[in-house]
Amino acid sequence: MKKSILIVLSVLLVNIGWAQMRVTGTVTSSDDGSPVPYATILVKGVRGAGANTDLDGKYTLTNVPADAVLVFSYIGYRTQEVPIAGRAVVNVVLSPDALALDEVMVVAYGTATKGTFTGAASVVKSDAIRDVPTLSFENAMNGKVAGMQITTTSGQAGATSSIRVRGIGSMNASNEPLYVVDGVPVVSGNVTQMGIYTTNNVMSTINPSDIESVTVLKDAAASALYGSRAANGVIVITTKRGKLGKTTVNFKASVGITPSFATDNFEAATTEQQVEMYYENFWNADVYYRGRTEAVASTNALKQLNNRFNKHGYVFSAPDNTVNSLTITGDRAGQYFNWDDVLFRTAVYHSYDLSVSGATDASNYYSSLSYTKNLGRSVINEYDRITGRVNLTQKVGKFVEFATNINIARSNMEGFNDTRATGSNYFMQSRNLLWGLYWPTDYKTGAPWTARYGSYAYNPIYYNNEWENNSRTLRISANESVTVKILPELQLKSIFSYDNTQTQDHIYYSKLHFSGSSVGGSVSEMVTNINKWVSSTTLNYNKEFAKRHNVGVLVGWEVEENKSEFARATGTNLPTSALHTVATAGKLDANAYFWGNTMVSMLSRAEYNYDNKYYISGSYRRDGSSRLSPSARWGNFWSVAGSWRIDKENFMKNIDFISSLRLRGSYGVNGTLPSSNYGWRSLTTYGDKYMEQPGSGVSTIADANLSWETSYTSNLALEFGLFDQRLTGSVEVFNRDSRNLLQDVPISRVTGFGSTLKNVGEINNKGVEIELNGDIIKTQDIVWSAGITASAIKSTVTKLYGGQDIIWYDPTGGDSRAKFIYKEGESTLALYGREWAGVERETGKNLWFLNNSNTADLTVDGRPATYDYTKASEKIIGNIHPKLFGGINTSVEWKGLSLALNFTYKLGGQTYDAVGRDVTDDGYYWERIVSRDQYENRWTPQNKDAKYPMRIAIDLEDVNQRSTRHMHKADYLRLKNMTLAYNLPKNIVSKVKLANARVYFNGSNLFTMAAYDVYDPEVNEYGTRGWEIPLGKTYTFGVEFTF
Amino acid sequence: MKKINISIILMSIVLLSSCNGFLDVKPSNSAASETSITNVNDAGVAINGLISKMSSADYYGRNFIMYGDAKGGDFAIRSQGRGLDALYTFNHSATSNSYSGYWNQIYHNILQANNIILNINKLEADGKGSTALSSYKGQALTARALMYFDLVRLYGKPYNMDKASYGVPLILEPLDAAAQPTRNSVEEVYTQILKDLKDAEPMLSKSVSKGYLNYYANLAIQGRVYLHMDRFDDALTAAEIIINDKKYTLYTNDKWVASWSLEGGSESIFELAMYVSEGDLRTGSLGYYLLRNGKITGAMGWFMASDYYLARLGEDADDVRWGIMDYDESANDRFGSCLKYAGVDLKGDKGSTSAVNIKVIRLSEVYLMAAEAAFRKATPDKTKAADYLNAIRKRAPNLDPADATTVTLDMIIDERSKELFAEGHRYFDMLRLNRTIEFNDDFISPAVQISHRTKTINRTFYKAILPISQAEMDANPAIAAQQNNGY
Repeated sequence: MKKSILIVLSVLLVNIGWAQMRVTGTVTSSDDGSPVPYATILVKGVRGAGANTDLDGKYTLTNVPADAVLVFSYIGYRTQEVPIAGRAVVNVVLSPDALALDEVMVVAYGTATKGTFTGAASVVKSDAIRDVPTLSFENAMNGKVAGMQITTTSGQAGATSSIRVRGIGSMNASNEPLYVVDGVPVVSGNVTQMGIYTTNNVMSTINPSDIESVTVLKDAAASALYGSRAANGVIVITTKRGKLGKTTVNFKASVGITPSFATDNFEAATTEQQVEMYYENFWNADVYYRGRTEAVASTNALKQLNNRFNKHGYVFSAPDNTVNSLTITGDRAGQYFNWDDVLFRTAVYHSYDLSVSGATDASNYYSSLSYTKNLGRSVINEYDRITGRVNLTQKVGKFVEFATNINIARSNMEGFNDTRATGSNYFMQSRNLLWGLYWPTDYKTGAPWTARYGSYAYNPIYYNNEWENNSRTLRISANESVTVKILPELQLKSIFSYDNTQTQDHIYYSKLHFSGSSVGGSVSEMVTNINKWVSSTTLNYNKEFAKRHNVGVLVGWEVEENKSEFARATGTNLPTSALHTVATAGKLDANAYFWGNTMVSMLSRAEYNYDNKYYISGSYRRDGSSRLSPSARWGNFWSVAGSWRIDKENFMKNIDFISSLRLRGSYGVNGTLPSSNYGWRSLTTYGDKYMEQPGSGVSTIADANLSWETSYTSNLALEFGLFDQRLTGSVEVFNRDSRNLLQDVPISRVTGFGSTLKNVGEINNKGVEIELNGDIIKTQDIVWSAGITASAIKSTVTKLYGGQDIIWYDPTGGDSRAKFIYKEGESTLALYGREWAGVERETGKNLWFLNNSNTADLTVDGRPATYDYTKASEKIIGNIHPKLFGGINTSVEWKGLSLALNFTYKLGGQTYDAVGRDVTDDGYYWERIVSRDQYENRWTPQNKDAKYPMRIAIDLEDVNQRSTRHMHKADYLRLKNMTLAYNLPKNIVSKVKLANARVYFNGSNLFTMAAYDVYDPEVNEYGTRGWEIPLGKTYTFGVEFTF
Repeated sequence: MKKINISIILMSIVLLSSCNGFLDVKPSNSAASETSITNVNDAGVAINGLISKMSSADYYGRNFIMYGDAKGGDFAIRSQGRGLDALYTFNHSATSNSYSGYWNQIYHNILQANNIILNINKLEADGKGSTALSSYKGQALTARALMYFDLVRLYGKPYNMDKASYGVPLILEPLDAAAQPTRNSVEEVYTQILKDLKDAEPMLSKSVSKGYLNYYANLAIQGRVYLHMDRFDDALTAAEIIINDKKYTLYTNDKWVASWSLEGGSESIFELAMYVSEGDLRTGSLGYYLLRNGKITGAMGWFMASDYYLARLGEDADDVRWGIMDYDESANDRFGSCLKYAGVDLKGDKGSTSAVNIKVIRLSEVYLMAAEAAFRKATPDKTKAADYLNAIRKRAPNLDPADATTVTLDMIIDERSKELFAEGHRYFDMLRLNRTIEFNDDFISPAVQISHRTKTINRTFYKAILPISQAEMDANPAIAAQQNNGY
């Protein structure tokens, strides 16, 4: 009361001193320059004085004091205070405010404002991802959300990414989060059945340009409403809607090129260096191992070289019987074939988006059409996609609103097997298999070279025409909802969603291809049809009592059915290379079956706040799943949470520099279902056919009491805003105990099986997440802001069945590339292997630390060591989990120009090099080429302080041991994205009848600083780097017009 | 408004009441184990599965056959590291090269047999028995007996050496996942084997059936078991029934080589069928492993005949059995590569080098069994011994036939070596006869020192039998105390 009297008084006083005037202007968004309709303009300090902008963003104020200060505000935008200073026209550009506490965010089964939400969630808005040239949104989110790690194993266009929210909570079941699009859980992950050939990320069917925001739900309070699938976090995607105002047409086009990889990746030594090492390898074996003379050694080494390469037009000699006189002559001497030119190209990415959107009081629409094509770095990798979306809401009468979201996507992808496959992995061929001395043609006849080269590689120029593959995906998702306002405070919402993804995989080998020659050519067509329907109905009650007590209650239920159908037809003995169809084949083979699961859930949530100061909430969900037996089927998941707006307390009134302060905490239980649909059933399968008759066999002994894994998560956070929200941030600590983890428990083989799935293990994840954002410079003309996310997570195995360790291998690529151990008290990604002690200075031999009580051959650094790795014991040698990871984002806006930098970083932890065994070997794979790193760092009598041992062709297996030799520091800093954008000035733009025009440049992976720089430090979710094609440096140019 | 509320309540009632059906989702390509054998047809399908699993790579499909020859002195290796050479070098222990595949696969198969027997017993108890069902039970019992016989010879000491020592766990019904069974004695295992065989004998069909176990296969297995137990009269009886019933006939000399390119030949008493579309091991098959290194793409030349075998077969340069031998990688006049599993034309018995039927029991073996039993029984019948031996010995046309005065045990055992080469018998013969085995280590080029055994061994060597693997001991701690001595 006193306050308002003061205001009235002050207004009166002001009125005395200044004249009243009329002010007009336009409010636009810094986002895209579009007008902001319905923005609120208040005259500071004058009660009741103010206006709203119209559909064109225009406003008019009358009778305003000439020295008044106008306050411009709109939901989701930073509020601005602008002194009139006597001007009659005041135009204002509002910039989006990602940190506003009253920002609306989409959460589980509804929305909340950031300041009132009691759970831990991070939101990434469309403008943070829109300029990144990516087929799927995950790749653009790197470093933007504290606690979230995003990895992409393969740099192939269309490859699937992996997301870990707050560490690893499962050993056997999935660690991937649940994806929810527009309120409905959706299919995620890889959808092709091509196995090792390629992965096809179903998330690529959602055009990133259609995404309005992505919310990552991290703690139990945020995610427990998703119950038995929420333990790994939930990614909630919300697609765009129209904005009130006139129709907006947006057109965006971009072209990106990727001329090179982002970093060096096991670069091969030059051909001359390869020849030198090849000679040296055999020469060393004879001289040092067999004690032969240099003359014999040289003769043998030359024989090897000549046997291998004479047929390609090269002749080798070494008159003084040492490498010093090694010379290459012959018809092709002096010229080497550049396989990189044949295997790789400048990747091209282009994308076109057209969207039309708008809204009236009764209806809201957004529709879009896009086309994207991405030719990968490898000559056999391309992806193209067409997507179309219609989001429509229509009010019917006063109380009912219908909404429809329909997305259609058609994509076509061609990929290649980038596992450690010598015959088909072009990246591996370029770095490990194809000598510059191999040519695609026979130098005598000029005919294509079709035989296998000596190093297990084939001539890709010839064979690329003899096979083909593609994976076509058609996804249709329709999401229908109706919202009924039963009472002003009671709302019913019912959603029915159908999501159908059909993937058609095609793979063909001609009878000339090495993979098809034994069967007369082969062609396979595989169709996978993934159907998911979800029906969910919720009742939502929100009411304020006595202006202080705010109550919200949600109850609902949800039913979900997933059914996938698979059919394969294969034909072999093909009649002609012109027909690549099963129908024409001489011999047919087929397979077809289906699988699926269902779930029924009841859910509820209650929220209460007192005076918008003290908040408490609780949620409860009960899930029944077909993946568990009737006796174990139902499970309860719940959470409680509270928050306290400290800044609203009276005692905070006088602390001016703190503009907001909030403490929140939560505790709750959620779960993870077993990956297998039928894991609890003891099954008889029919895989043992005999003499063309069916044959059956018992295939599992199951635990009928199999249950979900359960996570108990607590979370505590302090959110703060300083200096009028100029510096905002949060510090969050969490603890997640995952219990009843599914484990393949080893059992006596006398039972007929080696293991059975049981709920036995436990894992703990705890950590700290920090997010800080601030405006370093903030003037009318220039805004320079910066933000950082940092996460430190400790992920530990706390209990295993019978306390027994479990040895496991990185499943990526199926090459057992890195060995891990689950051991109580140790990291969930604890590398296991032998400890390499380096190279003996005088002999160039491998040395190994014993780590046991065996008799030592020598000591290294005072520790017992041996020359024989079989005598050394394995132990935990490292930890993949970094000490700290996150992102650094900064942007500068000046007039219409903006520059944004997005860095990602990782500190601490290790990566494991699964390629080193091939490219820095000690002479084991002597027929292959090796890396520059190997050439420069191998032991020779001239280089005794070498990193790598002497090359010697006696089949040393040292390099193939999983050991510290291949383990490296993981630390890196990468400029993941850099975007330079320019909004053309309004006066120019309006002349061509545009509302806004924008040009931009984006650079991806332009700069990388890594502790170990032999390969790209952005490794897969297991911290390993294998033969997958690496990421590239991409330069993208784009234009965007709004009409 | 009210209508909506009521319909919500109704919907929820309908939904929740139909939950249990809705949540019962069954797989489409497999069936619940408990209900998978409910009639005679199901039992037949399960028998197919069992027999098919017997031809897996870890068992008769490859490794078991290799075991019987690689360790018996008739095989040699040219180079280390091609695979399975650790059998030859005896480089096995509980932790590395444990060869637990035998244990794992055979117990997995025994589970299948136990499951079939259990379910047929249930059907019979319910009055649903039939001749066909009984025949399936007979096959399951016979298969179980054969598998226990093989297991106990891999892991237990020879019966006539120490039958009180540890054999293998004797499991006759499907086990619970938590079971941790311990080892029975060799004698207990043999007792069960004979019981199963005798129980099965009257249930089995006497007609020739390609690819399945019948009455005669049962008798032949009995004969093998009796030979191991030194029960020669019983062995002779079993063998003579097979011979005298004349359902099977010996190959004549001119048909012998071709018989390796035929399925279901006149000697085949039990043959495991291998089809291209079924258990074909392709380049991992027996056929490929015995081919000369590089003869065709994927041929690795794992094992070839030892000098000793070649010398034995060389007693007659015209021995028909040379016809199945090809020159090996060491020299083009050393015929050490065996084509029994590829056929001389590399087209096997169905046009494939790899999908070739595996002859587990042949009539030739039964003749030699009869010869040995007649020779060694308490009251030897040397005429019979010589006659049965000569039926096979005549495949070396230049060798003099044996008679009651000239026949020796060595002649019979040598004939077994010549005839049954690469069929998985030699090592077990050497063990049960307590003979010294000599290895042709000097054939390896370049020469290496074999460190895991001496050049000659006999059955007292601890590695003459396999270790219980570390994985089994970890999962089943009680069995750790029962590890074979020495490991």
